[in-house]
Amino acid sequence: MTHQLLEINGLVKRFGGLTALKSIDMSVGEGELLGLIGPNGSGKTTLLNIVSGYYNADAGGISYEGRAILGDAPHQLARMGIGRSFQVTKIFQRLTVLENMLVAGLSDGKASRSEATARAAGLLRDLKLERLSDTRASSLSGGQGKLLEFARIMMLSPKIILLDEPFGGVHPELKRFMHDQLRKWNGAGTTIILISHDMGSIFDLCERVVTLSYGDIICDGTPEETRNDPAVLDAYLGDHHGSA
Amino acid sequence: MTLNSLRATGLAATLGIFIILPFVLEDYWIYTVTIGFYYAILAASWALLVGYVGRISFAQTAMAGLGGYASALSVQHIGLPPVIGLGFGVLVAGLIGFVIGRLTLRLHGAYLGLTTIAFAEILRITITAEYSLTEGSRGLQVAALIEGGTRVEYYFLFLAVTVACLALMTWLLRSRIGLFFQSIREDEDGAASLGVNVTLWKTVAFAISSAFAGLAGGLQAHFVQLITPSMMSLQEMGLVLAMAVIGGFHNVFFAALGGVGLQVLLEALRELGEWRLVVFGLLTLLILRLMPNGIFGALFDALAKRLMRNGNDK
Repeated sequence: MTHQLLEINGLVKRFGGLTALKSIDMSVGEGELLGLIGPNGSGKTTLLNIVSGYYNADAGGISYEGRAILGDAPHQLARMGIGRSFQVTKIFQRLTVLENMLVAGLSDGKASRSEATARAAGLLRDLKLERLSDTRASSLSGGQGKLLEFARIMMLSPKIILLDEPFGGVHPELKRFMHDQLRKWNGAGTTIILISHDMGSIFDLCERVVTLSYGDIICDGTPEETRNDPAVLDAYLGDHHGSA
Repeated sequence: MTLNSLRATGLAATLGIFIILPFVLEDYWIYTVTIGFYYAILAASWALLVGYVGRISFAQTAMAGLGGYASALSVQHIGLPPVIGLGFGVLVAGLIGFVIGRLTLRLHGAYLGLTTIAFAEILRITITAEYSLTEGSRGLQVAALIEGGTRVEYYFLFLAVTVACLALMTWLLRSRIGLFFQSIREDEDGAASLGVNVTLWKTVAFAISSAFAGLAGGLQAHFVQLITPSMMSLQEMGLVLAMAVIGGFHNVFFAALGGVGLQVLLEALRELGEWRLVVFGLLTLLILRLMPNGIFGALFDALAKRLMRNGNDK
């Protein structure tokens, strides 16, 4: 049986009169590559923001490796191995690519600069950014920025990574490269939660897909089950399905 | 020539000029440049906070005053030697800076700026009102740092402290802490997602910047041997801001040069009276619009570009 890395119980989040998450229960097993889909405003990013410490919840709990983490600060969660990306990349524009990497590599105070630099060089090589190491991040293309965000997350040696729309505006070839990297990291044991409106990527990469709609989980199953679930078709894939 | 050697040459030349100056200048100008070093430390400490961490503050001269008063009073009432008093002033300014940093953690932009103005004014007015302790706006006599010290001796002391402060700031900014500071300036959420303790480093930045300001204030008080609350005024703060912006507030050295440069200009244009400040205000606006890296930043960029072009031509 797969060990549960992340367990979410009865999670509720309200923004004034709007209930963004009604009462979410879900667990994520170690080594899973899980897709999180749903129409705009369904609560996907809110859920990610709570798991990564950016929002507080109004009720419920989250445990990570058996430890309650709700209320922990984002930097504490990052150091515990929860890495995340953002819908709009948050790379440090006026720092070089290498400096961007070193921020992640040095933040816990454990690695020396030379160790972090060596580790960064390896990751940048894997992601084909090595020659841009001394370039200011502001000079990178959108796709290169996405790759840098991937690389920075991996500097944390995360146990789980939460990716929010990583394929938005990315060229198909680069997307394939990103798929390969995600499979590689997942194969090496990193758990991944992937939010994407790119159904092709979700169904291609994920073995399990959780669908949210209006703050509720309406389906939790394999890509095949998700594709054929009437509630999903109605809530999210309906238009796509109808127009296909 | 590489960029690093350009930097080293620039630094060595600047330091060389400042070492030679007291041997060629009249007493009055030696005094003026010495005061310029006070502004250099202040402008650099402001640049450290604003240029590297992205946190705005208008309380820098108030922190200088606090350091100065804490030092002067500790010497007068506890009998500390002036050098130890200076250290006490640095500690007090750093601690109050830490508290301000902590209280303003969630504030940004205009709200942060306005809050620091409020802190600065509270501090200035309290010191003015506590007449029995501070002698209010009449000013407080302060013990000399160097008993019977000459202007040249003070000049070299201020130069040495300025160089030491800039070296310390550079060391800090090149360390992992400098990287954390800059990541916070770029994107706080992004920095936190990579494990940077944004709360801690934002607070520490305020404390460090205030401590440097407190040192500058203490030095100034023990040099002039008189301290008044006017050194904490918003007009003085505006002057420091203009110095950092005109010099280049994304680099502590450029901001420091702005401090010395503007102080010398202030004295050279003394005939213009208050109009000098209008000129500096206009200059600050123009620099912000046309040279975001300041005069020295623009000069360095131009030299670096030329250097690279020459390198490519060869």
